[in-house]
Amino acid sequence: MLEFDGLVKSYGDNQVLQGVSFSVAPGQMFGFCGSNGAGKTTTMRIAMGLARADAGQVRWQGRPLDDASRRLIGYMPEERGLYPKMKVAEQLTYFARLHGASSAEATRAVDEWTERLGLSAKRGERVEKLSLGNQQRVQLAAALVSGPEVLILDEPFSGLDPVGVDSLADALLERCRAGVPVVFSSHQLDLVERLCDAVGILARGRIVASGTVAELRAREGGRQLRVVVPAAPAGWAGGVPGVRVVSEQRGDTVLDLAPDADDQVVLAAALRTGPVTHFARREPSLVELFREAVSAA
Amino acid sequence: MSTLGQVRLVAGREISTRARDKGFILSSLVIVLLVVGVMIFQLVSGGTTSSTTIGVVGGNPSVTTALQQSGEAAGTEVTVTDLDDEAAARQAVEDGDVDAAVLDPTGDSPTLVVEASSDDDGIVRSAVSALSVAAQLAEQGVELQPAPQLTTTELDPADDDRGPAVVVALLGVVVLYGLLILFGQFVAQGVVEEKSSRVVELLLSTMKPWQLLAGKILGLGVLGLVQLVLIAVVGVTGALALDVVSVPGQLIGTVLTVIAWFLVGYAFYASVFAAAASLVSRQEDLGSVLTPTTLLLVVGFIVSLQAAQDPGSTLATVTSFVPGLSPLVMPVRMAAGEAAWWEVAVSVAIMLAAIALVVRIGGRVYAGALLRTGGRTKLREALKAERA
Repeated sequence: MLEFDGLVKSYGDNQVLQGVSFSVAPGQMFGFCGSNGAGKTTTMRIAMGLARADAGQVRWQGRPLDDASRRLIGYMPEERGLYPKMKVAEQLTYFARLHGASSAEATRAVDEWTERLGLSAKRGERVEKLSLGNQQRVQLAAALVSGPEVLILDEPFSGLDPVGVDSLADALLERCRAGVPVVFSSHQLDLVERLCDAVGILARGRIVASGTVAELRAREGGRQLRVVVPAAPAGWAGGVPGVRVVSEQRGDTVLDLAPDADDQVVLAAALRTGPVTHFARREPSLVELFREAVSAA
Repeated sequence: MSTLGQVRLVAGREISTRARDKGFILSSLVIVLLVVGVMIFQLVSGGTTSSTTIGVVGGNPSVTTALQQSGEAAGTEVTVTDLDDEAAARQAVEDGDVDAAVLDPTGDSPTLVVEASSDDDGIVRSAVSALSVAAQLAEQGVELQPAPQLTTTELDPADDDRGPAVVVALLGVVVLYGLLILFGQFVAQGVVEEKSSRVVELLLSTMKPWQLLAGKILGLGVLGLVQLVLIAVVGVTGALALDVVSVPGQLIGTVLTVIAWFLVGYAFYASVFAAAASLVSRQEDLGSVLTPTTLLLVVGFIVSLQAAQDPGSTLATVTSFVPGLSPLVMPVRMAAGEAAWWEVAVSVAIMLAAIALVVRIGGRVYAGALLRTGGRTKLREALKAERA
């Protein structure tokens, strides 16, 4: 279990983290969401020993992370960084060895990961000669090549084309299935929703919502309905008890139901205005959950 | 992987990337060629013995012997050529076949023909007078005994002639100065490269700043030492093979001294350069933060040139104790035989203390400034910065 426990961090008067706690189980893919400046990067840098928490700690398998255990973590910093003049394979071998791989293990892993990430042809090239997309792949390979027990990736998908996104997603899912806890931050919430078993939403230095996407929906409490009545006049649902109109556009209406509201009453009200072409429970997307959670915080 | 394992990996990377760097290979070649060039120059310029050719009209074997002996006394090797008459003599001098020509050396009015006044004048004058004295004595029936050999008793003997050792030390200091600048730059560039490319964040997630710093300085230090030893081997072998120096023990002693001072000087300057470089994020800004330290090196170099002229001067004596200057000045004083053993010991002790201080403060600055990218970090900020 990878546990972030009560992290507090201030830079001057700016309290960036105010007690961030969450945990990621082995084999779990954890999507770390939050607005810009919410403190995602700071949280990850504290885990990697690049910033020191004022309070709280990060533990792996019950023990606080130290230099030795951090070498078991594959890390991708937000600020991408590689040696521009070093060749791809040499560079990856170096990083694998810094994480404790033997020379032979490192060579084997570099061959494997450059192959998987479509970099086989670039092994002998200097990083500065590669396209940005390929540099990004090398950066990923640098995080993966040491066969890490844990993956902490800061915005790993940003800057990748759809093919790159797919190959990274495959690689992460495969690592995950092998029992590696994966934490990654992203603004691409559709991607998070698709890939992650669990999500944490960070706002103003705190985790304001966490759990599986289903749990977040359930915790949202209310149910939503989408009702399409092409002929209905605007504001038709306003008078129905226990109903709040979320959006309404040319007869396409999204409604928020209070816990005690009866959806059949809503259907009856809709039918009174004309033929109903669509009537269904609506699952809020992660984007909506995110907005909700962030604005409530 | 142990703590030292990381340091070793960093050092290994520094060595393998630098050793393949074109600039490094080129600079190594230039320095080796320079050393070989200086030796060849020494050899061609002929050291202390010069030579001259003197033409003689109306000479005989005793004239030849007298000229050669007189030349030997003046430290000049004399070759004697017989010429037919005055016209031939003038021609030979004009054509440069001979440096001077003597007419009628044993006669009443011997004449010397030269292009312009030269050292040959003195050689010929004393030869002519010796011949005349010998002839007059022979007329009087005096038989000459060989003159007794002069024995010199030195009251304050210099153990050897220190001149060549000082030259070697000076040459060593030139190389040392060049290498300190070169490898100091390498360290500084390496630090900024890691900062500007932001790879430092990835590196520091696997090790502490001091491990990165130590690995970098050690790796480049090993490379510098190898280069210096290579230059020394080429230089010493060449000097012995070409017979440029007369006292091999002194030569090797001086070279070893220079190597030892390189190690001390490098540890000092590399730490300062690394700390200074960590304050900036772009190679373009490197010059401004390195200038003060580079100036110190230049001052040390200039003082060492002065010390070679006058190793006993107050300036040389004082600066040979100043940390940062001592690695360049002390080798010259040592080679000149001007430094007592305790002076060397004190100078080394001061330098080691300075290194300890510089490594401590420099390490703090480096650790504090390394993750602050963008712009230039103030020294005070770096010292206050949290170290993760």
